[in-house]
Amino acid sequence: MAHGHSSKEKVVYVGDSRVKKRSYNPEQPDYTAYPGKSEAFIPNFLLKEWMVGVVALVAFLVLTISEPPPLGYPANPNNTGFVPIPDWYFLFLYQLLKYPYASGSYVVIGTVLIPAVMFGGLVMAPFLDSGKERRFYKRPIASSLMFVSLLAIIYLTKVAWNGYEHELKELNIIPEHIEREEKAREAAAAGKPTGQAKPGGKEVAIVDKDDPAMASFKKATCVACHGADLKGASAPSLRGIGDTLSKDEILKIIHEGKNDGKMPAMYDTAIGAGLTDQDIDHLAEWLAKQKAAQ
Amino acid sequence: MSKPHENEHNPHKPAARKEMSRRQFLSYTLGGATAFMAGGAALPMVRFAVDPLLQKKTEGNYIKVVEVSKITDQPQEFNFEVTQVDGWYESKPTLTAWIRKDDQGILALSPICKHLGCTVSWNNNAKYKDQYFCPCHGAHYTSDGKQLAVARAPLDEYKVKIKDGFVYLGDKMPNTRAK
Amino acid sequence: MFKGVYNWIDERLDITPMWRDVADHEVPEHVNPAHHFSAFVYCFGGLTFFITVIQILSGMFLTMYYVPDIVNAYYSVEYLQTKVAFGQIVRGMHHWGASLVIVMMFLHTLRVFFTGSYKAPREMNWVVGMLIFFVMLGLGFTGYLLPWDNKAYFATKVGMEIADTVPYIGPYLKELMQGGTIVGAQTLTRFFAIHVFFLPAGLLALLGAHFFMIRRQGISGPL
Repeated sequence: MAHGHSSKEKVVYVGDSRVKKRSYNPEQPDYTAYPGKSEAFIPNFLLKEWMVGVVALVAFLVLTISEPPPLGYPANPNNTGFVPIPDWYFLFLYQLLKYPYASGSYVVIGTVLIPAVMFGGLVMAPFLDSGKERRFYKRPIASSLMFVSLLAIIYLTKVAWNGYEHELKELNIIPEHIEREEKAREAAAAGKPTGQAKPGGKEVAIVDKDDPAMASFKKATCVACHGADLKGASAPSLRGIGDTLSKDEILKIIHEGKNDGKMPAMYDTAIGAGLTDQDIDHLAEWLAKQKAAQ
Repeated sequence: MSKPHENEHNPHKPAARKEMSRRQFLSYTLGGATAFMAGGAALPMVRFAVDPLLQKKTEGNYIKVVEVSKITDQPQEFNFEVTQVDGWYESKPTLTAWIRKDDQGILALSPICKHLGCTVSWNNNAKYKDQYFCPCHGAHYTSDGKQLAVARAPLDEYKVKIKDGFVYLGDKMPNTRAK
Repeated sequence: MFKGVYNWIDERLDITPMWRDVADHEVPEHVNPAHHFSAFVYCFGGLTFFITVIQILSGMFLTMYYVPDIVNAYYSVEYLQTKVAFGQIVRGMHHWGASLVIVMMFLHTLRVFFTGSYKAPREMNWVVGMLIFFVMLGLGFTGYLLPWDNKAYFATKVGMEIADTVPYIGPYLKELMQGGTIVGAQTLTRFFAIHVFFLPAGLLALLGAHFFMIRRQGISGPL
């Protein structure tokens, strides 16, 4: 299928295998039935579309600058108290699974059947709603199904979100990404490092392991959260705590607690467990001695 | 390229034998080669991707914890070490169980508080005699692990197996006793 | 200069008809917000694409710092967000953009639905659009895990428990997605691969089909 060498062509291919050039005649959908002013895509229409794009981008950039993306604390599989929440556009599904007929032994209804019917219906919409009519008010069945689904999704999302907020309030939890951000801001103001301490690396040893304070540490139930070896469990590790806190600061935390009671005031518990003020004083002194660098 | 000419010259030659036409043969070969190329390239990848599914499960890995004779009807604290393999990470977390027995058998509870993940202990607070108590926010539980305050769920229990006079503990599961 | 280069290429590859086809087609009045303000509803599709482009670009740049590993993932995200210049904005673009894509796509879908634009002969384009919707939701789900903070971890655990409830294949499906029996190191690498390679590849193919069909069939006429 050689094209035949016309003298006008500057480039000549030997054994020409090109598809024959079609005359340039793009198919135009016919809009003459709709009187009005149509215009070329480039540049006339695209310009208008890009004005919209410019406005959208400005709004978007303002959002990203003013609102930092949320980031919580490193994932800790042992954290049994975390209230999980999916991204907002999955909330309705998440809420659906809390209802009795979509959970327990009926869970398949909530996880498979309802989503399958909904999404299946959506995919097949052009074949289910195959009439000629396009106006939504002349397709009452399709439109009302869509309206009802929309309302249901909005309602479920709202209920899920309210439930989440309520649960946080009841358990007195501040969402981690907010807490982390506030702490980072405080730390930055105090000139301390703002990041999360990375585990591993060089292990910090316990200073004066045989000190009687170790026994007080156990007796006062500190071990319950901070671990028998001070390595931390549900509460942070106390190894090397002396690097960041002084004895007086530690005493204050024992007396008053910290983080809105996540670290509760433990003084009374310690006294109740049979420790004396002197023991507690010594415990704080010993903790303040826990420094990473010897 | 002589075949078509032959046919032209002998139009009445019987074509009874059901032979594959040249075009058909080429199409089949092409299809076969395509299938081989796609399959041959994809097969190792697919097997590679589903490998975790086909690996031997280490489930039912029960850890020997303590002699049955040491278990009393008062809960006691026992530590045991499990090996957790997560791909190329291996860790040996030490777990704690509070084990007691009664007429329903041996019950091993996890001491992780179901409120905010602190650690509970048995009889560690004079106010809550014979209960599990969490020092963080005062959640407390019965000896079956049923929550009495603050927490949303009963304490988790470990799967228990008894063999040769020893108690073996398996995976954690939701509490089955405290209803 | 530019013209010279263009002519040089055009002589050899004959590229003019390709872009002239896109450029010269007429856009009817009823979708032009300059004529009827209510036609702004026809902008949502274009905006979805615009934000998708931002998502792809910001995602590509994020991988310059991000490490998909349970030990390092969180710290690499924290580092790129707090220590790298403009890190907050780039991660913010990807994070908020993800939500925005869903919103825009949702509005675009509703516009197509309520104007009945999915009717013959455009059924196939609607089906492709729905597939794009699923892929986007999949991108949202897999991307949610990548920062590896508590929220990511526990939301994925819930997601896996939901997958587990599917009759018969559920447990296998869950294990295949998790890459093992727990949500851990292999889940993270798997989700990373799906989020960064598999789904975007599918998305680009579907978008290509979507645009090709729009160009072929033209935009639906006015009501």
